Amino acid sequence: MSQLTEEQTAPPKRVHRQRSATQWAVAWRRFKRNKSGVAGLAIVIAFVVFAIFGPLFAPYPPRSTESLLQGQAGQPPSWKHPFGTEINGIDVFSDSIWGARNDLWIGVAATAIATLIGLAVGALAGYSRGVIGGILLGIIQFFFVIPTLLLILLFSRVFQVLVYQGFGVNLIVLILGLFGWPGISFVIRGEIFRVRELEFIQAEKALGAGNLRILFRHIVPNVLTPVIVLASLLVAGNILTEVVLFFLGFGPANVATWGELIEEGVQYVSVYPWVALFPGLLVVTLVLGFNLLGDGLADALNPRLRE
Amino acid sequence: MSDEVLLEVKQLVKYFDVFSRGVFTRKKVGEVHAVDGVSFAIKRGETFGLVGESGCGKTTTAKVILNLEDATSGTVNFEGRDVFELLKSGKRSDILQIRRGMQMVFQNPYLSLDPRMTVFDILSEPFIIHGHIGRSDWTARVYELLTKVGLEPYHAERYPHEFSGGQRQRIAIARALAVEPKFIAADEPVSSLDVSIRAQILNLMMELQRDQKISYLYISHDLSSVRQISHRVAVMYLGEIVELANTDSLFEHPLHPYTQALISAIPIPDPETKRQRIILPGEVPSPLNPPPACRFHPRCPYAQEICRTVKPVFEQVDTDHFVACHFWKKFA
Amino acid sequence: MEDLLKVEDLRTYFFTEAGVVKAVDGISLDVRKGESHGLVGESGSGKSVTALSVMRIVPKPGKIVGGKISFDGTDLLTLKEDDMRRVRGSKIAMVFQDPISSLDPLYTVGKQLIEAIRANNETVSKEQARDMAISLLSNVEISEPERRFNQYPHELSGGMKQRIAIARALARTPTLLFADEPTTNLDVTIQAQVLNLMKDLKKNFNMTLVLITHDMGIIAEMTSRVTVVYAGQVSESAETHTLFYHPTHPYTEALLKAVPRLDKRKQLQSVGGNIPNLIDPPTGCRFHPRCPYAIQICKEKVPDYEEVETDHFVACHRWKELSLVGVQ
Repeated sequence: MSQLTEEQTAPPKRVHRQRSATQWAVAWRRFKRNKSGVAGLAIVIAFVVFAIFGPLFAPYPPRSTESLLQGQAGQPPSWKHPFGTEINGIDVFSDSIWGARNDLWIGVAATAIATLIGLAVGALAGYSRGVIGGILLGIIQFFFVIPTLLLILLFSRVFQVLVYQGFGVNLIVLILGLFGWPGISFVIRGEIFRVRELEFIQAEKALGAGNLRILFRHIVPNVLTPVIVLASLLVAGNILTEVVLFFLGFGPANVATWGELIEEGVQYVSVYPWVALFPGLLVVTLVLGFNLLGDGLADALNPRLRE
Repeated sequence: MSDEVLLEVKQLVKYFDVFSRGVFTRKKVGEVHAVDGVSFAIKRGETFGLVGESGCGKTTTAKVILNLEDATSGTVNFEGRDVFELLKSGKRSDILQIRRGMQMVFQNPYLSLDPRMTVFDILSEPFIIHGHIGRSDWTARVYELLTKVGLEPYHAERYPHEFSGGQRQRIAIARALAVEPKFIAADEPVSSLDVSIRAQILNLMMELQRDQKISYLYISHDLSSVRQISHRVAVMYLGEIVELANTDSLFEHPLHPYTQALISAIPIPDPETKRQRIILPGEVPSPLNPPPACRFHPRCPYAQEICRTVKPVFEQVDTDHFVACHFWKKFA
Repeated sequence: MEDLLKVEDLRTYFFTEAGVVKAVDGISLDVRKGESHGLVGESGSGKSVTALSVMRIVPKPGKIVGGKISFDGTDLLTLKEDDMRRVRGSKIAMVFQDPISSLDPLYTVGKQLIEAIRANNETVSKEQARDMAISLLSNVEISEPERRFNQYPHELSGGMKQRIAIARALARTPTLLFADEPTTNLDVTIQAQVLNLMKDLKKNFNMTLVLITHDMGIIAEMTSRVTVVYAGQVSESAETHTLFYHPTHPYTEALLKAVPRLDKRKQLQSVGGNIPNLIDPPTGCRFHPRCPYAIQICKEKVPDYEEVETDHFVACHRWKELSLVGVQ
């Protein structure tokens, strides 16, 4: 065993020849070839840029009724108000920009919370056998079957008081995040069931690795790909839920979101059709973008399709 | 090979419970008798072949020996120490000591390496777990392991998906060697490889055995390769060992009708060797409800009333030849 | 004996994202009426794709890009798809390696057999087809055919499914049967059953059999002539006995040396290296990187496919000077 080491005077340097492409690099190469996926990514990036820098150019602050005083309420699109104004004189273009920021934040932050919870609960449920696994599965199933939307509506009413403390958008984030995780948990749990029986996990056990090391160093990284895909789709779902929430009149007041604009616009759709039209188009485009991105990721990360 | 026993398996039993699921309840409805009272001993530097058809319990036997599955009952002694007891004691130093002594190489090299780690990380993982190699020596050790299994140092920076099946199996063997084990359970290590690659891996295993006195439990359904590398062989049928002998006497004078049928079923790559083939009727019964008494009786061409009612004793019939059949004398 | 199937210089490429995989790159094959012809090779040798090409069922992104396939005097590659469909099943049929995925899990055994019997052949009534299906099941030695007829694939064991797959292939009494690794996924005692069955069926149905396998034992036992393929090309073709005892291609020799034998212990001599990548195959003779006898010309020039003697062909630059060892 030691023959080779004795012969060598100095320990060999690790040759960092050109390191091979990681699986992520391979996936990225595949993703780049998928046109609709790239289109989805482009849309998402465009909206992110729009949300970050747009407010610098927004003509009015959020929910500003300034134009009402100038007698500019309910105006159709013009150079001054590219998307027109609504009945209270709010500039639809400005609020669409502020809305992009809020909606992306709602979509992404709520998804982040849901993914973290989903990952933790799913990983534990998948890795623990026996009673604990059973209890966790029960919890996941419970959250899966309760009518989430109704609870979200209920909670947004109950905690409305927080809105007046400047918690408006984040209330939505929290509620969507706290109820959005069971789907991810289910997938993670299933994936872990699959991966933990694979031979490289058995080999790891045979080497004497501890449970936590196996779970977090070997199992979790190997179940992340479906999570990434699901998270991308969940962002789209959360944005749509936000719209529904405001549409049903359960959104916190005085927050500029697309849902708020759409809700107002639909009330007067026969008189001021542009109020709902433009934010509606934005919602559809962004949701489409995340869906295309999710599909593209699913194809690129799917090991069965790998050449 | 020495006469000193390295690993001793005594009356090993593994049942898998079968449940039927109600809405809220799980009711145990039966047991799969995967391994049912298996005993054998492996000597230092010996290759012990374990053969049988799918579902006979040979893989489960290996997994239970390494405690990758819990045993239902029975014991395994490794260098005279009770493996299950030590692993269950929970003392980290005992666990690591056992794990360093016994390793496993798996059937499918496409599943047995973590796809997200480089070969370097895969091979230094054992060093992290056991801490037996200082970090400054990792590189030297990884390169040494790679060379030993016939790969090149530059392979260390690659990912498993860049290798062929045979190369991956070499990496898996290198990982097992990283802890300097005395015993390796090799579960069908070549059955998923191409014919021209199989010989490479089998030869590598034999070479390592010569150099490092490793003992193997070689599990396979391919009797030709078992004959090639084993010193002694046990034949399993439905969770039980039906015959155990040194390789030549097993292949030349098989005493159990199942062993005879198994041997006669293998086509020989020589058009001039024509043999009488024993075709067994039917298929292997379910291990959920194995047949009573001699488990082979429903397919046995020589079965008598006694085979259906009395379980045959696993008896010694020659030096190093054991068989469980009422009528072995007929075939001797 | 006359040729039933003659494949000349067949080329089937797969146009993948990573590049063009030349899975079959100039394979020639002749199969005579009534013989059992072995097609032996390792994974990626092109043996299965050759069969799929003859049936013209190469999956996407594969495409037949060259060569000629004549079957019983008909040029299969110029046949219209409708006519080809009539050839499939009634003249040429195929049994696949994996009996689990080759049967549709949604339909009963009987339904799938009746469908095979009546495909392109509506003159058979449903009642007749039912009777034929039951007799097919007894032909493939399935016990209680009446009961099995109404069962679903998942209710059957692997060996039984492969018998059903064989029965389905025989439904229209084809003249040529391709069996692609038909016993690789089966246990040895079941493999013995299925091989015996195939021998009997070949005789009773008066078929020609092309047996595709990597197992030299099965070749020795089941076939009368063999074609050895390596990396998409033919390396040697001969009568089975000649191939085992007087191989002229180093790859054939290597295969024979590398395979362990059940009846005696021998020194296994392994072939070094790996199976080549078919996107960018080795130049010259494709076996040269692994060949112990390779010289300069082997790297540079593709060897001709030459006649060694009647019925014995080899593609090797050095076959005349080498004295290779076969089975001992």
